Amino acid sequence: MQTFLLRRLGQVAVTLFGVVSLIFFLQRLTGDPTYLLVPETATQADIDAMRHTLGFDRPLFVQYLSFLVQIAGFDLGQSVVQNVPVSTIIASRLPYTLQLAAGALVVACGLGIPVGIVLALYRKSAAARVLAALVFAAQSMPTFWSGILLIMLFAVTLGWLPPSSIGGVANLVMPSIALGLLSMATFARITRTAILDELTREYVRSARARGATTGRLLVRHLARNASIPVITVAAIEISNLLAGAVIVETVFAWPGLGQVTVQSILARDFMVVQGVVLMGAFVTIALNLLADLLYSAVDPRIRLDGVRR
Amino acid sequence: MTPFKRKLVACAIGLGMALGAGVALASKDRFVVDLVNEPSSLDPHVQWNPDSYAVYRNVFDNLITRNNKGEITAQIATSWKQVSDTVVEFQIRTDVLFHDGQKLTAEDVAYSVRRITDPKFGSPQLGQFDKIVKAEVVGPNAVRLTTNGPYPALLAQLVKLSIVPKAVVEAVGKDAFNLKPVGSGPYMFQAWQRGVQVTLVRNDKYWGTKGPFPTAVFRAVPDAATRVANLQAGASDLAVTLNSDLAAPLKNSPKVKVLAEPTERVAYVRLNTTRPPFDNDKIRQAVALAIDKAGLVDGILGGFDKPVGQMLTAAHAGWTPDLPTVPFDLKKAQALVKEAGPAAKVEIELATSPVFDQRIVQAIQQMLVEAGLNVKINMSDMASYLKRAQGGPDVVPALSFGRWSCACLDADGVLFPLLHKSSAWSAYRNPKADQLLDAARQTLDGKKRIEAYRGVNLLVNQDIPLVPLYQSAAIYGAARGLDWQPTPDESLFLNRMTFKD
Repeated sequence: MQTFLLRRLGQVAVTLFGVVSLIFFLQRLTGDPTYLLVPETATQADIDAMRHTLGFDRPLFVQYLSFLVQIAGFDLGQSVVQNVPVSTIIASRLPYTLQLAAGALVVACGLGIPVGIVLALYRKSAAARVLAALVFAAQSMPTFWSGILLIMLFAVTLGWLPPSSIGGVANLVMPSIALGLLSMATFARITRTAILDELTREYVRSARARGATTGRLLVRHLARNASIPVITVAAIEISNLLAGAVIVETVFAWPGLGQVTVQSILARDFMVVQGVVLMGAFVTIALNLLADLLYSAVDPRIRLDGVRR
Repeated sequence: MTPFKRKLVACAIGLGMALGAGVALASKDRFVVDLVNEPSSLDPHVQWNPDSYAVYRNVFDNLITRNNKGEITAQIATSWKQVSDTVVEFQIRTDVLFHDGQKLTAEDVAYSVRRITDPKFGSPQLGQFDKIVKAEVVGPNAVRLTTNGPYPALLAQLVKLSIVPKAVVEAVGKDAFNLKPVGSGPYMFQAWQRGVQVTLVRNDKYWGTKGPFPTAVFRAVPDAATRVANLQAGASDLAVTLNSDLAAPLKNSPKVKVLAEPTERVAYVRLNTTRPPFDNDKIRQAVALAIDKAGLVDGILGGFDKPVGQMLTAAHAGWTPDLPTVPFDLKKAQALVKEAGPAAKVEIELATSPVFDQRIVQAIQQMLVEAGLNVKINMSDMASYLKRAQGGPDVVPALSFGRWSCACLDADGVLFPLLHKSSAWSAYRNPKADQLLDAARQTLDGKKRIEAYRGVNLLVNQDIPLVPLYQSAAIYGAARGLDWQPTPDESLFLNRMTFKD
C-alpha cells in the first residue's frame, strides 16, 4: 500500500510537470495577447511597449523558467486581461463548477444507474426498448439546444424556474438536467453491460437455484460485482464535469470554470489557462487514484499492485 | 375536474411556486442589464472593451463627453480653448465630489492623463492618448494638455478619458483600485461577484443628471438566446448585442421591445494591394463591383445595418456627404476578371475570424466566385487574425473581412491606420493618400480636414484598397417601459435612461 502510494506520488509529479510544460509551449505557438488588448489605432510602438510591459518580449525559455519558479512557489500568476491573481479567478469560479458537477452527477447516476439496471434485467420487455430509445434521445440532443428548450419551457412559458445565472437551488435545476442527461446515457449503458456480464456467471445461476429473488440477487451480488466498470466511468465523468461544461455554462450563464477557460484561451490569457489546466490535471489524477483505492475496497480480490489474487 | 386532478394541479402549482421562489423578479428599484461577458476591469485606465466600458463609464466621469446627438460637450471640463496648435486649456468644474467625499480637482485631471499616458503603466488604451506629451495644472481650476504636434482628434479621444482620484489610486495601488473603484460618476461601485455580476448603486450627491434606478446590476450572459429568454421571463431589463434573427420575434412581444442604432463600426473587405493578384487594378475593381452590399444587409442582416460607400459614417468627423460610390455590377465585374486573364485565376485567401458574422463572409466568397475569382475562406482565431492583419504588406492576407471601430468617431482613427504607409494595418502604398492623411492630421481647420478626407475617400473608391460594406447596427432588447436612445458610440449611460411601468 505504501509503496503503491509513493510510486503514484512520483507519477503525479512527473505528469503535472509534463502538463504544465505542454500547456506553456502549446499556448505560445500562436503568439501572445498583445494584439487583442490594444485598440485598432495603436501604432507598432504602442504594441511593442505593451508587449514589453507584459513580459512577452523576453526569450521563451526565460519566460518558461520564471513560470516554473512561480509554480514551484505555488503562485499561479496574474491574469493579463483582468489584472487579478489567477488563484482569485479560480477560487471564485470553482464553487459553481462543483455545484453544477454535483447536480449533474445526481441526475446522471440517479437516473443512469437505475435505468441501466432495468435495461439489463428486463432487456426483452417493450418498456426496456422504449427506455433505451429515450436514453438515446437524451444522449443525442445537443446541450445548446436542449438547454434553450428547457429555458423556454420552464422559465419563459411556465415561469417556474429562473432562466439563467446563479441564485438558489432553483437556478441549479435546469443546468444540472441539461448537463446530467449526457452522462446519464453513459452510466446507463455501462451499468447495463456490467450487469449483463455478471448475469451470465455461475454464481448467479447457483444463487437463483438457491431461490434468491431478483432484488436480493441485485443488492447482494450483482451491484457490487458490476460496480467496478461503473466506478471507472464515474472517475472519468466526474473529471469531465469538473473540467467545466462550456456549453451548458454558456447557455445558462453559469459562472463555472469551463466558461472562464474558453474565454481565457480566446483572449490568450496564458496564466489563467495554465492555472485551470494545472488544476484540472490535478483533479483528474486525484480522482483516478481514488477510483483505484475504491476498486480494492469494493472488490478485495484486487490488490493495489494491480494483480487479482 | 375531479378532486384527484384538482389535488394534482394544486401540487404542481405548489411545486412551481416553491421552485420559483428563487426567481429574482426585476423591479425598477433594481435595473438589470445583461452584457455578454463580465467587465475585464473596472479601472477605466486599464481595459476598454465594450463590457468593461458599459459598467465603468457609469462610475466615472470623463473630461468631456458626447451628447445623444454625438456632439462633444462639457462634463468635468466646463470649457476649453486652443492656446496654440499643440496646447489646449481646460476649465474644470468646481462642484464635483468623488464617491469618497473628496473634491475632484485639476490635479486629479492632470494625474489621470499622466497615468494613462505613462508607458510604464502599460495601459492598453495608450494608443488613443499617446499624442499627449504633457498634462499640467496651470491655475486653480485649469489644466493644459500639450500634444506632440497639432492633433485634431484630441477632443474625440478625450471623450474616453475617465477622471480617477489621485489620492485614492496612490493610496491603494493599481490592483486594489481595480477591485474597488472610486469615481465621481452617477453610480457608485457596490460589489463585484466574479463571473456573475457587478452591482452599482445610485450616487445621490451626483452633480449632474442623477440615475433613475437606485440599484443597477450588470450581469454576464454569454449566450444571446439566453439574454432574450431573460428579457422575456422578466429577469432582466436590457440586453446588449442581439442579432436580427433573435430580434425579429421580439417585435410582437408584449413585454420586450427592440432598440437598434447604427454604430460607428463599419464592415469592410481589405485588399492587399502590394501583392498579386490585387496589384492588378482590374481585379481590385472587380471585387468592388461584385459585392452586393444591399443584398448582404437586407438578405442576411435583417435590414438593421446600413450599406455604406465609404469607411466613415455620418457620425464621424471627416465624413464626406456626397461621395460618388461604386455600384453593384456583376456583369462588369465578370468582364474585368476576364480581361485580367490568368492573373485572376490564382487562389485568393479571404481571411476571417469567428468573431465576425460568417454568413456575411460566405456570401462575399460566393459573390466573388460568381464574378469569376477563386476565393477560399481561411478562418483563424482573433489573436492570429490580428497578428497577420498588422504584419505589414508581406503578411497581410490577399483579402480580409473585418469591422473597423476607432471608438473615436473621427476619420483620423479610421483612414490613417488602415491606409497610411506608416501604419501596421496598411497594405496600401500611395504617396497621394499618405500626403492627404498627413495633411488632415496636421491641421486644426475643420474644413481643410473634410476636404482632405474627401480626397482619401475618392481615392479609396478609385483605387480599391478597401471595399466599405455596411455600417453595423447595435441591436438591444429592452423591457417595454424603458426609454433610452442608443448612440453610435455604443455608450450605455444609465442616467440618460428613464423608466415607466
